[in-house]
Amino acid sequence: MRGKLSASQVIARLIGLAVTAVSLFPLFWMAVAGFKTKTEVLGYPFRFWPTKWILDNYQVLFQDWKFARSMLITFVGAVIFTLLGLAVNSMAAYAFARLEFPLKRLLWVYVIMTMFIPSMAILIPSYIVVAKLGMLNTMAVLILPGVAAAFAVFFFRQFYLNMSNEMEEAAFMDGANRFQIYLYLFLPLSMPPFVIIGIGSFLGYWNSFIWPIMTISNEDLFQIMQLLAYFRGERSTETGVIMAGSTLAALPTILLFLFFQRYIIQGIRITGMK
Amino acid sequence: MKVAYLMLTPIVVLLTIFVVIPLIYAMYVSFYQWSFYKESVFVGWQNFERVWNDSKFWGSIWVGIKFVFYTVPAGFILAFLFAHVVKLLQGKLGSLVKTSIYVPNVVSGVVASIIFIFIYDYQGGLANYLISLLGFEHQAWTSDMRTAMLSIAIPAVWLGFGYTTLIMLAGLNDIPASYYEAAEIDGAGWWTKMFYITIPMMKNVFLFVVVTGTVGAIQQFDLPYMMTGGGPLNTTMTPNLFIFNHFRGDPYLGYTIASALLLFLIVGFISSLMFRAFSSDKAIDS
Repeated sequence: MRGKLSASQVIARLIGLAVTAVSLFPLFWMAVAGFKTKTEVLGYPFRFWPTKWILDNYQVLFQDWKFARSMLITFVGAVIFTLLGLAVNSMAAYAFARLEFPLKRLLWVYVIMTMFIPSMAILIPSYIVVAKLGMLNTMAVLILPGVAAAFAVFFFRQFYLNMSNEMEEAAFMDGANRFQIYLYLFLPLSMPPFVIIGIGSFLGYWNSFIWPIMTISNEDLFQIMQLLAYFRGERSTETGVIMAGSTLAALPTILLFLFFQRYIIQGIRITGMK
Repeated sequence: MKVAYLMLTPIVVLLTIFVVIPLIYAMYVSFYQWSFYKESVFVGWQNFERVWNDSKFWGSIWVGIKFVFYTVPAGFILAFLFAHVVKLLQGKLGSLVKTSIYVPNVVSGVVASIIFIFIYDYQGGLANYLISLLGFEHQAWTSDMRTAMLSIAIPAVWLGFGYTTLIMLAGLNDIPASYYEAAEIDGAGWWTKMFYITIPMMKNVFLFVVVTGTVGAIQQFDLPYMMTGGGPLNTTMTPNLFIFNHFRGDPYLGYTIASALLLFLIVGFISSLMFRAFSSDKAIDS
């Protein structure tokens, strides 16, 4: 430490740490409670640490396939959803940002207009549409409807508009077609917006709840949040198991965030400024 | 250019199937008595009239608005204050705080609900333990009409706090330090700087936080679904939960879809009012 801290610095540090502790407390408590017996999770008086650390709750979770399978298929679904979304939306953004073609404005309005339609307004008719297409109880019903996202197109387009023309024209002169330019020139440079939008998509899929409970009734395809809610209904007295399950269900998103936190916190600068 | 159309085909097809057709279909179905099992009957504006005259629908809108008032101002003020604190923190501690407070934002509403259901547990929950230390009696937080709304508002504020703080912080960091220095030379105090520099300069950030917060809060679903089921006596029946329950309970979807469309219009109306309120503030135009 260099120099002396001013009084306001000391107070700011104390408040900063206190608020951080409070906002992380529920998550830590959940994680620790996953190692407690079911009587101890809600024991009175309140104790943070277990008297004895046990792994029984995790054993119960993994004694059959259900929980692990749900984690796995939700993960696979989220990955496919994210990759498809990045491909579809960035490709469209490239076309809108860098290419000229008839009806461009009309198509742009058509795509952007959908940004202003709240998902709730079309939730039930969407359900009717996917039911009529025979998509209920498939992975496709979880993945496809949300892939195209006008917001993401808008975001990528801003990014592509700011990229320099020279390289693109040089590649074009060398005989590359526009799709190749997108694939080999623009995509490799798209990491920052890809990370921000990609993580948003992954989280959105992983944490989604209302759409899975509407469209999935086959237990083999239960998404993780759906399974967790179901667990809480079915095994409401198994408090330790519920806490362990919630911890595992929250873990992938937290790890993903921590891994990419630099990008995300910078991304907030971008969205916050405009 | 052919390539452009090929590149746009996937997005146009997907948006058409999963957004545009449902929207058009919603408008169509809302004028019919429609079900999966029967021939649909044209009923004109009847569905809308029923929704319009349904006190339960308006009750849920009112619950949504109340939920906004429970969550948005509290989240706004806490984040605004804490952003000032974080601004003073530098180096490792600063990034530790920024990263940590954001973590709850990636946690799902379902997980948050489960944690808070346990915190509110009548016998062994932390909430009752804390108030009993202060000498109060145990409360049935989520099933008491007086506290149910507060009970679902607290996890909502918790989930959004870090994100809002970081947005506020980005806004604060955008204000050039020279503005404050100039004001200090003129002898401006803390309040003067706050009211003549910080608040006017943050207008767009405030607008963003309030509008996105309101639109998000009025559409809250996970927390009341998991924690209260909309009860007791519909005091936490948010519009989306109302619509969802109707969807589950009523085979005729015309009414449900009409109420969703009406909700959409109401939310749009509220957000346009907020844009007006913020942008008509000529007194602090720079």
